[in-house]
Amino acid sequence: MNDIGAPVLELENLGKTYGRRGGGVNAVRGVTLSVGAGEVYGFLGPNGAGKSTTIRMLLSLIAPTSGRVKLFGRDLAVDSSVLGRVGSLVDGGAFYPFLSGRRNLEVLARTHGGGHQRIEPLLEQVGLAKDAKRKVKAYSTGMRQRLGVAAALLGDPDMVILDEPVNGLDVAGIQEMRALIRSLAADHGKTVFLSSHLLNEVQQVCDRVAIIHKGEVVRESTVAGLLDQESSGLMIEAMPLETAETALALRWAVERRGETLLVAATRAEAPELVGRLVGAGVDLFALTPVQRNLEEVFLAITAEEPADV
Amino acid sequence: MFDAIAAEALKFTRHRATWGLVWIWPIGLVLIWLLAIVLGGANSAPGAGEPTPAAWIADSVSFWNVPAQPFGRYLLGAFVAVVFAGEYGWNTWKLIVPHRARNTLIAAKYVVALGLLAIGFTLAALLFSLCGWIEDMVSGDPIPAGIAMAALAKAHGLAALACVAPVLLTAAYVSFTAILTRSTVAALVVGLVVTTMEELFRSFAPVLELYAPALVGALYQILPGYHLANIASWLKEGTLAQVPFPSGLFSAPVGSSLAIAGGWIALFVALTFWRFRRQDLN
Repeated sequence: MNDIGAPVLELENLGKTYGRRGGGVNAVRGVTLSVGAGEVYGFLGPNGAGKSTTIRMLLSLIAPTSGRVKLFGRDLAVDSSVLGRVGSLVDGGAFYPFLSGRRNLEVLARTHGGGHQRIEPLLEQVGLAKDAKRKVKAYSTGMRQRLGVAAALLGDPDMVILDEPVNGLDVAGIQEMRALIRSLAADHGKTVFLSSHLLNEVQQVCDRVAIIHKGEVVRESTVAGLLDQESSGLMIEAMPLETAETALALRWAVERRGETLLVAATRAEAPELVGRLVGAGVDLFALTPVQRNLEEVFLAITAEEPADV
Repeated sequence: MFDAIAAEALKFTRHRATWGLVWIWPIGLVLIWLLAIVLGGANSAPGAGEPTPAAWIADSVSFWNVPAQPFGRYLLGAFVAVVFAGEYGWNTWKLIVPHRARNTLIAAKYVVALGLLAIGFTLAALLFSLCGWIEDMVSGDPIPAGIAMAALAKAHGLAALACVAPVLLTAAYVSFTAILTRSTVAALVVGLVVTTMEELFRSFAPVLELYAPALVGALYQILPGYHLANIASWLKEGTLAQVPFPSGLFSAPVGSSLAIAGGWIALFVALTFWRFRRQDLN
């Protein structure tokens, strides 16, 4: 995990409603979160959860209906110039199709007001140096995605917002992207705000995650903390198994799996569980916490949250 | 601001719309002239009479009438539609909006679109003069004595000024439609319809006055069609445009025409900025 500094991104009660009052659709409701300097922050949610709307609000592409966005301590509604310190990859394939990859970066460097000297090194870094003269309309999805990463890093930003950065990348490309994201934070001190549906990727690179569902943040935690909180239980091997099942079923939900029992208890409840087994005269051979992966945790959380919007 | 303009210029100097709708003016003009030489060269009849210097100059700057006419306005409107609505089609606003103030991005689009059109029109007008001069030389028609470069330059300048208002007005309402509808095709169609309606109303208002005199009279005074013609007449001929209506001759002071045409242009430009500032770019 990276050392996390002062907040560089703060969302305070951020909301977006589309349509008329009364009959409007709440795309995002009361999102509050904070991302520290040097942190890799994952933003997870199913399709339509409000991830893209939130990202667009923090890039000033759409105006919030309520709440505010603070970047580097400045209110975005008051001073949008702080976006000059932010690089973003949103809709990775969105470039001028009639221009070459290099020319697209030149246009962007002009728009930024700088960064020309970084174009060639970035093209090398994302593996597009040989294809830089080709028009973007001839690029594959993966090539556009890599050009998007180069575009996001062009202005040497302090914070990088990546919306689904591994979309369209092959396995090698995904590994390179993972290494790049880690390097951005660890070696260059940049803050990364990452939205992805590939939860395995998020689990491997993020320090903290927020899960957004139906427009609301339903969990925010470190990845390790989230997995720990949401562990599915304790697996035990004991003899006699029937006596153990009877003793534990008085307190927890117990599921028999072959010659083992899966008990819906937390790690903190392990001593109590052992005490009950010993009290019942059961011999305990093994007790193993069952850790869910982020995908299972994510599915469990998004399935249990209320559906009212 | 300079960087935003440079970025916009980088984009559109490479776009095929710039070739098809801007550089087509000088290129097309030369091609048409060459075609006319090839087809009509054998039939040229020298000695038809030496034109006066004023007539020769007026003829040589007559290209400037084209951008102010409906056909010219259709083409320039199509280019403006691509410049302003193209970003929606390419989905590229989200690439540039976070890095520049929205007003700057729109202002840069106006500068580049109008700048490229100005270059295209100027090149075409100069080539038109040059072609006329070459044609006279080749065919043996005498170029009237007493034509001064200063007089020719002044005539070009006044003719160019006369087409500024129609060009700006077309750019203004097409850009607003492009931002409002987020569609190149919609902006193009609206530009075409509005330009045609404006021209038709200007031409047929005297007839329509017979059926609804008050309404037609008011619209004729408020809408920009007559006022654009009045400004052009004042600049090129030094006289006010007078239109015979059943109820009498209609004419307006050039100051009123400038104010009304300018008002329409300013209104659409302001609406373009206002709409884009408030627009959600999903």
